[in-house]
Amino acid sequence: MRSFLNLKNLLFLIAPFSIFSCVNLKTVQGFSNTSSTGLQQFEEIHYTFLDHCQDRCFEIAVHEFQLERELECECGDFISADSVTQVIYSTLKGYLLGLGELAQNNLTTYRTNDLTGALTAQQLGPVSIDESVVGAFSALSNTLLRSTTDFYRRRKIASYIEQANDPLQVLLMKFEQIVQANLKGELQFKKERLYGNFIELKLNNTLESDFEKRKAGEDYYNALLEINRLEKMIDIYAKSLHEIADGHQVLYDKRDKLSLKDLAVDLMDYSSEIQVLYTEFNKLNQ
Amino acid sequence: MANLTSEQAKQLSDNFFVLSTALLDFRVANWDSLSKEDHQILSDARSKSLEFGEQILALATSLIMNEVAESLDTIHQVTSDIKGTIKNLKNIQKGLNIAAAILVLGIAVLEKDPGKIGESIKGMVGAWGEG
Repeated sequence: MRSFLNLKNLLFLIAPFSIFSCVNLKTVQGFSNTSSTGLQQFEEIHYTFLDHCQDRCFEIAVHEFQLERELECECGDFISADSVTQVIYSTLKGYLLGLGELAQNNLTTYRTNDLTGALTAQQLGPVSIDESVVGAFSALSNTLLRSTTDFYRRRKIASYIEQANDPLQVLLMKFEQIVQANLKGELQFKKERLYGNFIELKLNNTLESDFEKRKAGEDYYNALLEINRLEKMIDIYAKSLHEIADGHQVLYDKRDKLSLKDLAVDLMDYSSEIQVLYTEFNKLNQ
Repeated sequence: MANLTSEQAKQLSDNFFVLSTALLDFRVANWDSLSKEDHQILSDARSKSLEFGEQILALATSLIMNEVAESLDTIHQVTSDIKGTIKNLKNIQKGLNIAAAILVLGIAVLEKDPGKIGESIKGMVGAWGEG
């Protein structure tokens, strides 16, 4: 038993695995987690194509003084647009979360407490085991196990990154297009409708007192500020998507050298940028 | 006729946007010279331009689906493979737990203690059922 548990031999065996097994996976995990957190800010924008359709329907009804028992809005195309957006978003989120989970360390930090408990029971018939050796065995076997599975994970992760990069770049680009060109584009229409409604109010001379005019002006600018806030959030979010795409490209370019420290440094830039954008976004969302 | 792409739909939407702003600007510039009927015609045309533009923009988003179908399939496949790998890794923990449970059962058998044997069998079944 003691010869099997020769500590020097075990240390020699696990050293190469343990040295380079942490940096890379942590880096991939860090980037994936930051990216999925950044991506999920989409849920904080709180403006969808359907919201836009309903707002528009409401604004038109108010402008034309249409009074209905129930306001009915034709929003089929907007619902479809939201569905497509959701499909792409969920796919991106699923991949980034999966990658982060696969790279996380505790996935292969196995608990050997039960085994240690059983060994220290000192009731293994004729075999007697020294307690300190049991502890060392437990620690080293855990590290060895983790190192070999880390090696397996690293290989798998590199392969997944390779397969995923091209479609991921396409999806991120299209998602950015949906959010920044299309969803923000709808806000441009909202702004234009708002401007038209208030300019009519002004030029029709329907507002008489200074108080009414100032109140209308205040309403206009408050509504405009709210749209501008949403636009800024979308811009920041779109930048985050860009950083995620660039960061994943770095992962792809260096997928065969995932253990190198410079990868950690390279990805740090993207992760930091995403975090800065995350903070900026949250400030607008307060 | 070739199908409309999302980019082309976006272009169309932009055109309707420009048209609607031009109609309003024209109306504002000639506000006092226009008759009530002229105002109504221009106002309706502008409203319709805005609505078309918004509708086409939503359509542009739906059209993206045709352009990303292949990418979506690939990412779905990779994500599913990742989940499979994670499951295998989690099964290693299960293997360790079972190994520990077997050891405990072995001790109980050596001790010829029926109570402990029963307990350890329960433990083994529990370890097997985990995860």
